[in-house]
Amino acid sequence: MPKPVLRGLIIVAFFALTAFILVPAYVPRPAFIPGFAPPPDMWPRTVSLAGIALGVLALLFAVSRPHPEEAPIETDGSSRARMVGRFAGLMLAFVLFLVAIPLLGFLVSTMLLTLCIVLMTGERGHRIWIALIAFGAPILLQLFFHSALGTQFPKGVLTRPFGF
Amino acid sequence: MLQEILSALVAVATLPNLLIMVAGIWGGVIVGAIPGMTGTMAVTLALPFTFYMAPVPSILLLVALYKGSTYGGSVSAILIKTPGTASAACTALDGYPLAQQGKAGKALNMALYSSVTGDFISNLSLIFFAAPLAVLALHIGPPEFFMLMLFALTTVAGVSGSSLLLGLVSAALGLLLATVGEDMYGSFRFAFTPDMQAGLSIAPVLIGLFALPELIKLVVMRATKEEEAAKLGQQHVTREEFMGSLKSILKGSVIGSVLGAIPGIGPSSAAFFSYGEAQRSSKNGANFGKGELEGIAASESANNGACGATMIPLLALGVPGDVITGVMLGAFMIQGLTPGPLLFQTNIHEVYMLLIGMLVSSVLLFFAGKITMRMFAKVSHIPQTLLTPLVLLLCVFGIYSIASSPFDVAVLLVMGVVGFAMFLLNIPAAPFLIAFILGPMLEENLRRALAISRGDLSVLLSSPITWLFAALIAFVLFITVRREVQKLKTERRVEQ
Repeated sequence: MPKPVLRGLIIVAFFALTAFILVPAYVPRPAFIPGFAPPPDMWPRTVSLAGIALGVLALLFAVSRPHPEEAPIETDGSSRARMVGRFAGLMLAFVLFLVAIPLLGFLVSTMLLTLCIVLMTGERGHRIWIALIAFGAPILLQLFFHSALGTQFPKGVLTRPFGF
Repeated sequence: MLQEILSALVAVATLPNLLIMVAGIWGGVIVGAIPGMTGTMAVTLALPFTFYMAPVPSILLLVALYKGSTYGGSVSAILIKTPGTASAACTALDGYPLAQQGKAGKALNMALYSSVTGDFISNLSLIFFAAPLAVLALHIGPPEFFMLMLFALTTVAGVSGSSLLLGLVSAALGLLLATVGEDMYGSFRFAFTPDMQAGLSIAPVLIGLFALPELIKLVVMRATKEEEAAKLGQQHVTREEFMGSLKSILKGSVIGSVLGAIPGIGPSSAAFFSYGEAQRSSKNGANFGKGELEGIAASESANNGACGATMIPLLALGVPGDVITGVMLGAFMIQGLTPGPLLFQTNIHEVYMLLIGMLVSSVLLFFAGKITMRMFAKVSHIPQTLLTPLVLLLCVFGIYSIASSPFDVAVLLVMGVVGFAMFLLNIPAAPFLIAFILGPMLEENLRRALAISRGDLSVLLSSPITWLFAALIAFVLFITVRREVQKLKTERRVEQ
């Protein structure tokens, strides 16, 4: 499917979902509204309907203009499947990071996330720098935020005996 | 008034304030000099640190970062033909040819002189025009404010990205996200989790949207460029060379100041406009693009000239003109200050401190640039594969430290993915952010206007000011659509 058509469909689908499902379900109207003030769902509904109209226009333009000029996205030449795999890996890293915070604590979780991300960028040289960024930088930042700004970073259930 | 200015001057001229401005300028130049890192990123990354600072130093830090990064963009543009920021794209046209001729230092010096001059003139325009505009703004009510914000949103949507339609879609997404949380009458909207009842904080949304997509792009696409940097070589700009470019510097400064004050235009458009004007009017116009110092002067004076001026609508009307002033609006709000006409009545001391601090930072930009030019030249070599994960780390620690909330960290990561999806779909992020920041005010003013008029929508066109903004919105829509139609026709002609 051409990208402009897909984009138009996504826009219409998203705003339609918001206008017809999310707004009725998640924007309750209070029993009493003072004066002539519009209800709380007026604005999100208006924006969503405008979004649908814009999406429909985008879709119409995409269909009526078969070869639109869009700047190509720069890549390292990898296949689409490989890039999707990398994206999935990154999402997994993000989710595991959030899950790991209560278990391993903020410090260890950020260390693991940073190491994971550096390796995911394809960086294999500069090993000392990788170690410094992945392990040294989180320690420095935690010390800075804790001592200078008084931030209390969460300790992990598993790492609490070690003090972090 | 003089007494207030003097007292503000004394308050600004303290060692901590000067150190903060110097740090901001250096930090900004370093970030601006690194290809792929932008001024927006510099300002957004610094935002969490401002939570712990007094209001004026925190804004001065962000302003210094903005100015520093705008100048810093010229470093990599001249040395490796890769503009550190979009506003330095024109600088590369003449800067890199000069670097190849062994005159990189000369080009960097001309960029610095022009940037400082443009910045200074821009700050003066801010001082002279912000207060009168704020006085005028005191006389306008909810319908006028609604139309003004709608105008700002339309302009930003029109000039961001390649399509007005996608800019408006982006703005609609931002407006929708801004409705999450408690509304003005106490209803919870889209509160899928208890954390969402308080709404989404500005910092994780904007940092996620502007800093993280670069990281995701690097991991998924891995399109890094290794460029060979030119040596600094000949450095001295002669008096004749400077005087020969002075007309373009002054013209560029004025262009930057005027265009910067219009919401949505910003430094990049000002630089392109000034470069084109200088090429048209200069006797050396034929040399533009081949290594002409005047080209650098025109581009750099205009892009830095827009920096101070973008603060005019922010301070006087409370309307951010671009993403960076949008971030600054967030910083103002975090500090308990509300930019707009009332700021000039309730916090005049802080306003004077800010204006004087901005003038001082222009001078500091000159010295910081001169002293550390060689160091900045090396910055453009740092590999992105090491730098970008460090940005993520700063984001995560910074966001957590604001409210000690893992939910905010999750919002940061989700917004990074949203920003990446918008990049893939060619939807510009700037209107999203401006709409997210303006959304609550836009809705509040609309609802107030409708409450006053008993639900009559014609209140939005009930005064000359609302008509003026309606006409401006129609004008912006007309010229944007006309530009796109012309582009389409040209493309079709080329295809045939």
